Amino acid sequence: MPVRRFASAIVIALAVAAGGVGTGVSAQRGGPPGAPPSPRATAPIDLSGYWVSLITEDWRFRVVTPPKGDYTSVPLNPAGRKAADAWDPARDQAAGEACRAYGAGGVMRLPGRLRIEWQDERTLKIDTDAGSQTRLLTFGPSPSQGGDWQGSSIASWDRSQSVMGAGGGFFGPPASRGGSLKVVTTRMKPGYLRKNGVPYSGDAVITEYFDRLELPNGDALLVVSTEVVDPAYLTQPFWTSTHFRKQNDASGWSPTPCSAR
Amino acid sequence: MLGAMTRHHLPSCQALIRIAAIACALAMSARLTGQAPAPANATAPAVDLSGYWTSVLHEDSMERGAGPEIADYGGFPVNEAARLFGLSYDPSRLTLRHHQCDGYVAPYQIRALGNARAWEERDANTHRLVAIHWFNQTFEGRRTIWMDGRPHPPAWAPHTWMGFSTGRFVGNALRVETTHLKQGWLRRNGLPESDQATTIEFFIRHGDRLTHTVVVNDPVYLSEPLVKTTDFYRQPIDPQNWLFPCDDGEQILGRAPDDVPNYLFGQNPFVKEYQDKHKIPLAGHLGGAPTMYPEIAARLESGADSALLRPAPGARPVSAAVDPEPRDGKVHVWPLRGNVYLLTGDEGNIVVQVGDEGPVVVDTGRGRLAKETVQAIRTLSDKPIQLIVNTSFHADRTGGNAALQASGDDPSVRGSFFSLQFRDAGVGATIMAHQNVSNRLVAAKAEPRAVPSDTYLEERRRTFHNGDSIELFWQRNAVTDGDSLVHFRRADVIVAGNVFTTTQYPFIDVANGGTIDGEIRALNDILARTVYAHEGEGGTIVVPGHGYVCDEHEVVEYRDMVVIIRDRIRAMMRAGATLAQIRAARPTADYDTRYGAVTGPWTTDQFVEAIHRTLTVK
Repeated sequence: MPVRRFASAIVIALAVAAGGVGTGVSAQRGGPPGAPPSPRATAPIDLSGYWVSLITEDWRFRVVTPPKGDYTSVPLNPAGRKAADAWDPARDQAAGEACRAYGAGGVMRLPGRLRIEWQDERTLKIDTDAGSQTRLLTFGPSPSQGGDWQGSSIASWDRSQSVMGAGGGFFGPPASRGGSLKVVTTRMKPGYLRKNGVPYSGDAVITEYFDRLELPNGDALLVVSTEVVDPAYLTQPFWTSTHFRKQNDASGWSPTPCSAR
Repeated sequence: MLGAMTRHHLPSCQALIRIAAIACALAMSARLTGQAPAPANATAPAVDLSGYWTSVLHEDSMERGAGPEIADYGGFPVNEAARLFGLSYDPSRLTLRHHQCDGYVAPYQIRALGNARAWEERDANTHRLVAIHWFNQTFEGRRTIWMDGRPHPPAWAPHTWMGFSTGRFVGNALRVETTHLKQGWLRRNGLPESDQATTIEFFIRHGDRLTHTVVVNDPVYLSEPLVKTTDFYRQPIDPQNWLFPCDDGEQILGRAPDDVPNYLFGQNPFVKEYQDKHKIPLAGHLGGAPTMYPEIAARLESGADSALLRPAPGARPVSAAVDPEPRDGKVHVWPLRGNVYLLTGDEGNIVVQVGDEGPVVVDTGRGRLAKETVQAIRTLSDKPIQLIVNTSFHADRTGGNAALQASGDDPSVRGSFFSLQFRDAGVGATIMAHQNVSNRLVAAKAEPRAVPSDTYLEERRRTFHNGDSIELFWQRNAVTDGDSLVHFRRADVIVAGNVFTTTQYPFIDVANGGTIDGEIRALNDILARTVYAHEGEGGTIVVPGHGYVCDEHEVVEYRDMVVIIRDRIRAMMRAGATLAQIRAARPTADYDTRYGAVTGPWTTDQFVEAIHRTLTVK
């Protein structure tokens, strides 16, 4: 009996292996002609729609503009503190830089709503009503050269996998389920992490993961996990996670201009 | 036996190994060449939490580090009850012995600073995932997230800081549902989370970053779900910092046992301090669902609203708590400790101790399911019930006396000199209680066999039974004038009777000798006998007259509530307020969503009136 069971296992193993090879071969031979499926077609999660921010963390820093010099919990280095201590909203307003707190490094933390939609098959667009900003998240090379408040954002679908790639095969893990949107943003104009002038530089690199969570009552949450790396002003990566709740419609959508105060 | 034929027709072992090697090589090559992955396994783990994690304090760092400012509730979707609870909270309450080592409830603890460690528990034979364990350094909170599909416990099961959690993988996340949490903090400046709260959590990994999202639903203190997100970074090696020792002790000497630090409504001095410091109006920093939405910024310009500091007139909230009674016509058995069990189902908790000498039964329920109660006891012991103890004369304590007494037998008196005097000595179980229970049952013309015959008059009655010391402690003028606590010393189980429940304000039966101060003394008497096991929970088991199995934490929160409401009513009485004025002022406003009632046998108004009638104001 043990030998028979072992033999059966071998047969199954061969079948699995052969199946894997067969799949791979057919794929290598071309499969369907034409371009691979678009990022939109392969999206593991649906981020489109209106989302309202739930301001349950850092409330005092987000709902009102904190006083100058209050940069609690942000790992600023001496240069960062010096810059924050020099914050002058009137100067920003006069210089046409009222949107410094509405750049890619800060806008997701501001109270407001997001409108997310596919601009085309490889570009997700995020409009914010706070400051009336638009972020374009491009899968593949970004057409943007940056230099504005939102910089250049490269998007990809993030699925867990080993260093050898996606799972599969006899010993590999099963293919991952679900996934996240990963966005890396660079080349922004220098901006503020918080409205009271807590700075990030133009050399900052912002990495974000967008996750959608389903709740039993039918609600959906969007969690944006953000990392800001900025050796110019920060002693360590600055991590926040910001959450939004899905809306069924555009209620509350109220685009407003940037305000330096 | 493997016959020659079989050997002939099967490949040799060497050949089998070769075939296996080829199969493996083919499979590996498929993987290494990046071919299509195998189909997703719906039950396979989608995220591996194993390892060491440290929370990042880049959000809410003050709250999670040094501590939140008092009266800072902005962004919390709390209701009136939670807001008033927080405003009444005096941090000096933490100097009370029974609060000094209070742990944090799971959704709050996971946001605490410090290290965490996660590991898997797998079946040794199948290697299927049984549970994921998560240990938080702060307050040494150890969670078990059951992954094996087991159900959550019934409503009468104990509540713990960590609650009872079950998990499953959804997409790229571990999704966890938690019930049976203790009362704890939404924020540790007095903003409460009730023991009725449940949570949904998601753990998602992005490389060495773990993002945790918790959604707290609390029908008692939240008007909308509260969502919090917390980040952890992975530590490559053991941080070797895991313990959080705590022992309580005397911090303020000479304090009266019924002194629970609290602020009367409208008198919390730190509200003004917060406003002066941050220039944020009450409508913002005192929280509420509107404060977590973007529109709050405009509302903050509307100025102060001092009405938020006191209960709204006219409101009459009722309890939003889950009814812990099974109400399915059955009597359910729940093991407590050792040879002691809870029986629930007959509209009043019953405790049974079993052993060689025959069962001891504390309280007999309403009596509507007496037959089922006897049958349930039979599943625990094949001996007849020997002793019955009543914690009071009320019908939910004594309703099954006659039936249970009749089903029992007391061999300890049969054949003794009692037999010479009483023909029925030893026929049926012996019922014990304070003498006032007997008196009131006789006055109520109870069936003679339902009336306790073995009574005591003063502080204590004791007996050694089934290998345990059983003590009855008279609680003079608490719910009635005949209440007893029953303490199984070895098992360390205290049966509180209706002195303590998890279902309602204490039923102070003024007509039968109950008083508010006696009730507070009785609750303190329970607390004088309890010992917690770890971080303020576990240890001595306290069985309430109604509701779920508790430990000292539930008792101390209940004691605090009764004292605080007493203090408010006393202050109003001293100021000359009438009963009608006191009721209108809603002195129970922060507890009504947990214990309040406007109908039924014990309403909020009756509770307030009972305090008013029995309070001596100097």
